[in-house]
Amino acid sequence: MSDMLRAPAEVKYAEELDWLESVDDGPKPFSWRLSPKMVRLFVLGSERADGLEREIAPKWFGDRSFVERSIVTLASDRGLLLIGDPGTGKSWLAELLSAAISRNSTLVVQGTAGTTEDHIKYSWNVSMVIAKGQSRASMIPSPIMTAMENGVIGRFEELTRSTSDVQDALISILSEKYVSIPELDDDNIVFAKPGFSIIATANSRDRGVNDLSSALKRRFNFVRIPVVTNRKSEAEIVRFRTEELLRRHNIELEVPPTLLDVLLQSFADLRAAAASAGSDDERLESALSTAEQIGVLEDAILHSNFFGASALTSETLASSLVGSLARRSPEDLAILNKYWHGVIEPRSREQSGEWEGFLSGGRQAIATLS
Amino acid sequence: MTSPFDPLRDQLLGAAESLADGPAALPEILAGIVDDVDHALREPLEIFPVCHHSPASALAMLRRLREKQPKVVYLELCEDLQPLLTELRNCRLPVALQAFASELDGFPAESAPLSVIAPITEASAEYQAISYALDTPGVELVLVDRSTDHVFQWQPDVSSPAGTPEPEDDLHGDAVGVEIGDLRPRFAELEEHLLHHGRVRHWSEWWDQYVEQPLAGADHETYRQVMVLVGSLFRRLAPHDTKRYAGDEDRERYMWTRIREHLARSGADPADCLYICGAFHAASRVPEAGSAPGTPDFTITPRTGTTWLYGLIPSSHSAIEAQFGLAPGSVSIAAATWQKQLQKLRLTPFRLEGQKGARKARKALPLPAAASGPVVDHLTGYMAGPPVLDGLDEEELRGWCVDIVRLARRNGYLASTADAIAVFETSVLLAGMRGRVRPTPYDFQDAAVTCIEKDTVPGRRDVRRLCEILLGGDRIGQVGYEALPPLARDVYDRLAPLGLDLEQRSIQRALLDLAARPELTACSQLLWMLRYLLPDQAVRPIMGSRKLGEKHIQESWDLDLGRNQRAVIELGYEGVTVEQVLEQRLRRDAWDPKATAATALKAVENSLLFLQSPRLTDELGARAIELLAAERTVDGAPDVLRRIRRLLAHYRATTPVLPAWCGRFVTEGYAHYCTLLPTAFVEEETGVRQVGAMLGFLFSMESLALSLGCDRTQLEIAVRQSHPESPAKIALLWAALHQLGALPLADLRERVGELLGNPLVVPSFPQYVSGFVQALEPVPRLAPFVVETLSQAFARLPDPVLLPWLPNLITTLKQQAAELVPVLTREAGRTFPGTLAALDSWTAPWNAPARSRPSAGPAGPGGPSGPAAAAVALLAANPASADAVAALLGCEGEWTPLAVASGGEATVLLTAFPASAEAVAELIGT
Repeated sequence: MSDMLRAPAEVKYAEELDWLESVDDGPKPFSWRLSPKMVRLFVLGSERADGLEREIAPKWFGDRSFVERSIVTLASDRGLLLIGDPGTGKSWLAELLSAAISRNSTLVVQGTAGTTEDHIKYSWNVSMVIAKGQSRASMIPSPIMTAMENGVIGRFEELTRSTSDVQDALISILSEKYVSIPELDDDNIVFAKPGFSIIATANSRDRGVNDLSSALKRRFNFVRIPVVTNRKSEAEIVRFRTEELLRRHNIELEVPPTLLDVLLQSFADLRAAAASAGSDDERLESALSTAEQIGVLEDAILHSNFFGASALTSETLASSLVGSLARRSPEDLAILNKYWHGVIEPRSREQSGEWEGFLSGGRQAIATLS
Repeated sequence: MTSPFDPLRDQLLGAAESLADGPAALPEILAGIVDDVDHALREPLEIFPVCHHSPASALAMLRRLREKQPKVVYLELCEDLQPLLTELRNCRLPVALQAFASELDGFPAESAPLSVIAPITEASAEYQAISYALDTPGVELVLVDRSTDHVFQWQPDVSSPAGTPEPEDDLHGDAVGVEIGDLRPRFAELEEHLLHHGRVRHWSEWWDQYVEQPLAGADHETYRQVMVLVGSLFRRLAPHDTKRYAGDEDRERYMWTRIREHLARSGADPADCLYICGAFHAASRVPEAGSAPGTPDFTITPRTGTTWLYGLIPSSHSAIEAQFGLAPGSVSIAAATWQKQLQKLRLTPFRLEGQKGARKARKALPLPAAASGPVVDHLTGYMAGPPVLDGLDEEELRGWCVDIVRLARRNGYLASTADAIAVFETSVLLAGMRGRVRPTPYDFQDAAVTCIEKDTVPGRRDVRRLCEILLGGDRIGQVGYEALPPLARDVYDRLAPLGLDLEQRSIQRALLDLAARPELTACSQLLWMLRYLLPDQAVRPIMGSRKLGEKHIQESWDLDLGRNQRAVIELGYEGVTVEQVLEQRLRRDAWDPKATAATALKAVENSLLFLQSPRLTDELGARAIELLAAERTVDGAPDVLRRIRRLLAHYRATTPVLPAWCGRFVTEGYAHYCTLLPTAFVEEETGVRQVGAMLGFLFSMESLALSLGCDRTQLEIAVRQSHPESPAKIALLWAALHQLGALPLADLRERVGELLGNPLVVPSFPQYVSGFVQALEPVPRLAPFVVETLSQAFARLPDPVLLPWLPNLITTLKQQAAELVPVLTREAGRTFPGTLAALDSWTAPWNAPARSRPSAGPAGPGGPSGPAAAAVALLAANPASADAVAALLGCEGEWTPLAVASGGEATVLLTAFPASAEAVAELIGT
């Protein structure tokens, strides 16, 4: 096991990627390490029909056409913009794609209100500039520039959170595919090598923060990742991520499938309620995404492991759910209270089982927070 | 017996053995499908398997018909639809053959109307067969499937309409669809499996890629064998214990029985015949299948007594997709593929003569080819090789890319030539990634979405929809004039003076200047009838209305009959003229088991508005009386009151005498409501409004009812028997008593004053006020008092009582604005000062000192004053006439001695100074 808290995808799946590369005989665009079909296989997992000797586990769950469209975009000369609600797995897909294509998913620029053009192009090592003057040696290339130089995929997280002038710096990179360094007299242009592309992610909820200019929009292909509402695939995602977490923490704990059903059902109910709510006050602040579900389960697991009897109970799950979703007081608490009394209570009477513990745990948590 | 398929069977069995861990049924299924193909090919009557909306089927059919030129064509289509087929000449496809029944016999009545539709598109094998058979001399077309009546006989639950579709997909209404060659895996897991491994998103795409395209250029034998194989596979994998499967087998027995009957009757040689059915049925192994004489027959149950009516209705690609659960755009794509293949293979399709676009003179068909040789196995080659696809058609793809960008730009997208290039590149890449040489329309659609769709959709349509439009677009059929039912033709004929093209699929504005062109009155009359009969959007008046007593000299209409052709056609199933249908509808409304007196009165009103038929009006009126007398609740009273008032006003203005039914309605109503009054006052379920309306009927129709022989004591007793408990109804009773003269206004005012003075009653006071507000209608002369009470309530009620009641009052006034608000505002206008300045010096009449009060009620001990006093004085001075009236009525009255007016200050003043009075008298000439 690596000594990283969270290894990037190319490290974590290094062995699998090596193997795939060794058996890959498909045509590879530019400097790609895998052919597009193999990239898809890496992300979505293999099937018997693929005729591979070993099984490749799926790592991202969602519609196949999203992945295909993303891969194809990267092979064309446009950037890829993954857009969707928070917690829909955009960044994870971006990481998997760059790991599979260029074995490096760490060339990331995080878009924030404080991101400047330097973060996208280059900056200077001031002490070196004072000592030796401006040269390529005293220049600090940004992750994007590094990606250009190496012909690999660069990533830009939360593109819409950075200001418009910073976004505009991307326009020339995406169309001309070079960055000029006017401070230098010679060797003052960095050309992108074949294989370079950008995967950006944007949150569709705060699109208004810094909306993209139409010039930049033109240079990106948009792939919209929807919130997973299919119970089956959602269960798979939650199970996959939780298992990973348990492995990481070396926790020996069983997540009973009935409990997973309770979690999925309650999220589905709350989503339905949010969809039919008339105003923001009647809606939970949380987007109720799959990531949120994983968070709730993680909390509950960690809590049970360290403070409980090393077994996940429905009470713990309920209190973790209330704790994660009650962000505003009193609005969120009122909604949860209504949900608990209007939906969970009758259900626990009808179906009993895990719902009973879920009812009492939730009630207690709401009471504590109120 | 050896078969050409033996090696293939052995090969498949070998494969099954090597997959020893597979399901035990595998060898049976694999060997079975080969046997099925073998069996189908051995049948002397050539079976031609088809799949719906499959251009490959249509192409194969076209070539086979040219080659074989059969004398008899048996077609899997409801046998009773046969006479309709020739009418297809007058239509623009796609249209649907429809069978319709509204009068049921043998089916549960609540499931009416029953409707079956079978859509026909141009790119279908069945249309090729129909056109060939109808236009080639000496060829007979025989429909062999069960009749529409059997469709419902065999359907487990007749009354289960599907969910509400989108408006543009709603061309078929909630008809049951039948189609030739429904070929789709019967259980979801198989379909999911095929889609997953085919790397496609939906069934139409799978079919297109794995069956359609490889078969597009295949020869007849390969086509036939492969289709039977696919049909057999789905058949063997379908759950066998379902009703649907049993129904399918019964249909096969039915069809073969009919075929054998026809063969025996006509003596046709099976070798000259062609039997066209879905691939699923082609692989049938039921014992009744086969053309050989002696094959057991299926007992065909007789049809029910239901009368079926037949017609054609317009259909559209999207309506077909919605009805049969196909992927959006798939029928359009199939149509586009058909056209492309025709051009590519230089084939001329069969088209019915007379149809738009059909060639005038058709070339004679070439001589039929010699009968084919022995059956040869074409399956092995097909199954062993990968699907043979056409190479990349760059020209076509480039065209699509350019067009989609243009279309997107027109729909608000910021798309440019760069996008066209990107879409092209992405389509090719996507196809490559999905293992295809050539991008399918679906790949192209995905690519266009990837490259053009951004975060928001600027216009009404998104890129996916634009692609569907581009790749064929929705085509909407039209039924030609000749093929329309008499009613629809009549409608078009009668609207011809408007000079509009009513077949156009857009809204037409009709301007009717009835003063300048009186001949348009008939059109206007028809339009109003259509307005009543058709769905809301078909004909819509923009200016003009039709109400009793109104006559317009100008009207303007928005007509959308082109898009609502189905509605007009379905109207044609109900009768021969619009008037007849309208009469039927009005009768149906009035004789409905749930009809009330109010609905019957509504029908009466409509009959007056739309049909000049006194006989019908009288019948409906008589029905209204019947219904009223049978009613045990008074829920409809407000409606009844409103309508009968309107009708009476109409008759008074237009006819010298009231129709008999009207008088009877009033007298019956008077007696009826008198009887129900005491219970209505007490029952909690009966609202104040209803009781108010009853009183309104009784009081406002009283004079008419009394003149027709009713007795007022009935009403007096009824009111005396009423002992309401709720405050609102008590107030209403007081108002009634006041109207009947049993409760003078002064007493009423006193009672209300007591209520307001009693702190225990104050919380319920608003309800009394509500009752008084309802009394405005039956007792309009109480209006000043109602204004007074309302003002008192606002002035004296504490806020905690007043405020919660206010919304209630406002909603009541809003709901019944027509009846209550005019009376109330007029009275309020009379009572309250009109200007702000006058408000300072204003005193409410009821607060004014007693002597300046207007004398609204019986006078106090001082005797009448004002104009009343003058009348009393006049009567007292000339008692003869009053005595005569009293003697006539049999009342022995006596004269109260009139207190001599004490004169008062005014008289004293006038006596003292007579000059001014005399001057006034002189001035007015007395």
